[in-house]
Amino acid sequence: MLKVENVTKYYGKFKAVDNLSFSVKPGEIFGLLGVNGAGKTTTFRMIMGLLEPTEGKITLNDKPIDYSVTDDIGFLTEERSLLTKLTVKEQAIFYGNLKSMKDKDILNRLDYLLDKFEIKEYKNKKIKELSKGNQQKIQFIMAILNEPKLLILDEPFSGLDPFNVELFKKEIIEMSKKGSMIIFSSHRMEHVELFCKKLAIILKGKTVLEGYLSDIKRDYRKKNIFIKGDIDIDEIKSIKGVIDVVKTAEQYEVKIESDEIVDKVFSKIKNSKNITKFVVEEASLNEIFVSKVGHAYEK
Amino acid sequence: MKNKLWFLVQNSFNRKVKNKWFMIANAILLVVLVALFNIDTIISKLGGDFNEKTKIYVIDNANSYDLIKTNIDSFSKESNITNFKVIKTNKTKKELKKNLKESEYIIVLNEDSEDFLDVTLITTGYIDTLNYQVLNTAINNTKVALAIEKSNINPELLNNIYKPVELKREYLDETKKSEEESQEMIMTTVFPIVILPFFMLSIFLVQTIGSEINDEKTTRGMEIIISNVSYKIHFLAKIIACNLFIFMQAALLFVYSGIGFLVRKLTTNPVSSGVEKQISNILDSINKTGIFEKLGIIIPIVLLLMILTFIAYSLLAGILASMTTNAEDLSHLQSPIIVISLAGYYLAMMAGVFKGAIFIRILSYVPFISAILSPSLLVLGQVGIIDILISILVMVLTIFLFVKYGLRIYKEGILNYTSKDLWKKMFKALKN
Repeated sequence: MLKVENVTKYYGKFKAVDNLSFSVKPGEIFGLLGVNGAGKTTTFRMIMGLLEPTEGKITLNDKPIDYSVTDDIGFLTEERSLLTKLTVKEQAIFYGNLKSMKDKDILNRLDYLLDKFEIKEYKNKKIKELSKGNQQKIQFIMAILNEPKLLILDEPFSGLDPFNVELFKKEIIEMSKKGSMIIFSSHRMEHVELFCKKLAIILKGKTVLEGYLSDIKRDYRKKNIFIKGDIDIDEIKSIKGVIDVVKTAEQYEVKIESDEIVDKVFSKIKNSKNITKFVVEEASLNEIFVSKVGHAYEK
Repeated sequence: MKNKLWFLVQNSFNRKVKNKWFMIANAILLVVLVALFNIDTIISKLGGDFNEKTKIYVIDNANSYDLIKTNIDSFSKESNITNFKVIKTNKTKKELKKNLKESEYIIVLNEDSEDFLDVTLITTGYIDTLNYQVLNTAINNTKVALAIEKSNINPELLNNIYKPVELKREYLDETKKSEEESQEMIMTTVFPIVILPFFMLSIFLVQTIGSEINDEKTTRGMEIIISNVSYKIHFLAKIIACNLFIFMQAALLFVYSGIGFLVRKLTTNPVSSGVEKQISNILDSINKTGIFEKLGIIIPIVLLLMILTFIAYSLLAGILASMTTNAEDLSHLQSPIIVISLAGYYLAMMAGVFKGAIFIRILSYVPFISAILSPSLLVLGQVGIIDILISILVMVLTIFLFVKYGLRIYKEGILNYTSKDLWKKMFKALKN
């Protein structure tokens, strides 16, 4: 299990991470969310041992993270960390050896992953000759080359089209099923929502929300009602507890403060004409995120 | 971790050696060095002739041919560069002018009642300065001889007048020998063989290690590397790999020179070639200085100083490269190292000018400059082996300081991606 306990990091007088704590069990996928500059990359760098925490400790299976355990960790950085003058094969040999893998095992695993990500033909191509999306695939392959027990993914979906996002998601879920601990950060809440069971939202280095996604959603009282039909917007807005009513192309989205408001809205519209839809949904993670980090969030 | 060190060394070394530009550059170096060693043969094949003598036709109307021939031959031999063949002719000036070639001169000697000798030199165009000086001196000497001859001085006295003065040398410093005074000639040999390749290789080393670290850093590959091996291992691997690469390049240059020399041996007639004779002369001069007797000590300590300097260069270049965030910054930061190296190069080149100066002796201990300057001063007899040992000691101390403090900067620098407050960060790293 990965444990981050009361970790604080200062850069001079600037506090980049403030008393951060979370844990990730084998098989869990943990989302570390935050706006740019929230402290996600600093946290990842501390987990990887690239930075030392000013306070607190980070352990993997109750041992401090040092070079004796890094062979079991995979790391995908937010920006490209590929030596672009190398070919894909050379890059794999280089990073694989740094993970104490044997050349034969590296090449077998590389062939398997290139095939899986449908880029087999790029094995002997220089990385700089590949498209941004394919470079991201190579970067992901390098991170999982050693079948890591702990996988850290900093913005893994950047530069990927929806088809490739699906490929990545499939692989991440497969790895978690095999028992890997996975931490990742993303700006795309829909991705986090799809396979993250546990998450933490940090703002200016501080945890503003942490826990299981289901609990977070349950505890977040605000809901959305989607209505299709001829309704009087002003009448709905006048109900106490209705935050806002937004008209979209096909329907109305009524944002309410809590479950108790649902009945009040329903009683107002039940006599309206042409009502074909009345659905109550939990708030999306995106809404929760925006509400927690406010204007600091830049999508 | 030890295996990872050797893997990194091997990987870094192979990446440089298997690079197509390394192969192309070495192919060019081989061709250039072989060509340089055989430049006279190549020029001869292309129509040039190193052994061709400049013919001087003398129209002697002053009955002074023998005198001028003796003088021209004598001064020409002394200069060791000009090569004249003096021919007496009965042809007229007009006839000679008609078919005069570029490598042929006409000298017309006429008597002059006041100035003893009236001389006209006729050539197709401008002539070489050295040729002009030799001819001018020879003609002036002929004039003086004629004047003395006309003054009725007896032959014995005349002979004594012409006999060169034998300059006897005495030195207050008993360790000095007259042979050492001709050591400028030795420097002309030491310079291209030792100093120039060292200078070139040190610049190459600085650029190699700098660009490799900068490349790994700017592509963020450094984060992956440092998360798997310590910064110390990574730095050590770079130092070892780059130095091995440079030593291999030095060995290759030596081999290419050997090939060039071998080609020369196989294609040139040793009797007709003057280069072997010149090499033999230089070796004789070096031998006279007594340096050969000390080579057993000189070679190892000079080599040690050079190797230590290479290591210090690579440490400094690596530390500076770790602070840069792009290739442009890297080239700016490398400039001071190249300037220091250039200073050493020029000081070594002009070492003979500063004979006995204290400041040049002190400079010969200064790290980076010492590897170029102190061997030159040693050859010139201005410093001794003990001075080289002091330079080595200073170099070892410098390396120790680079390792102790430079590694702190390296650790901070390789994961720093902004030039904002760069120097502040580095000074802070030094204090930690």
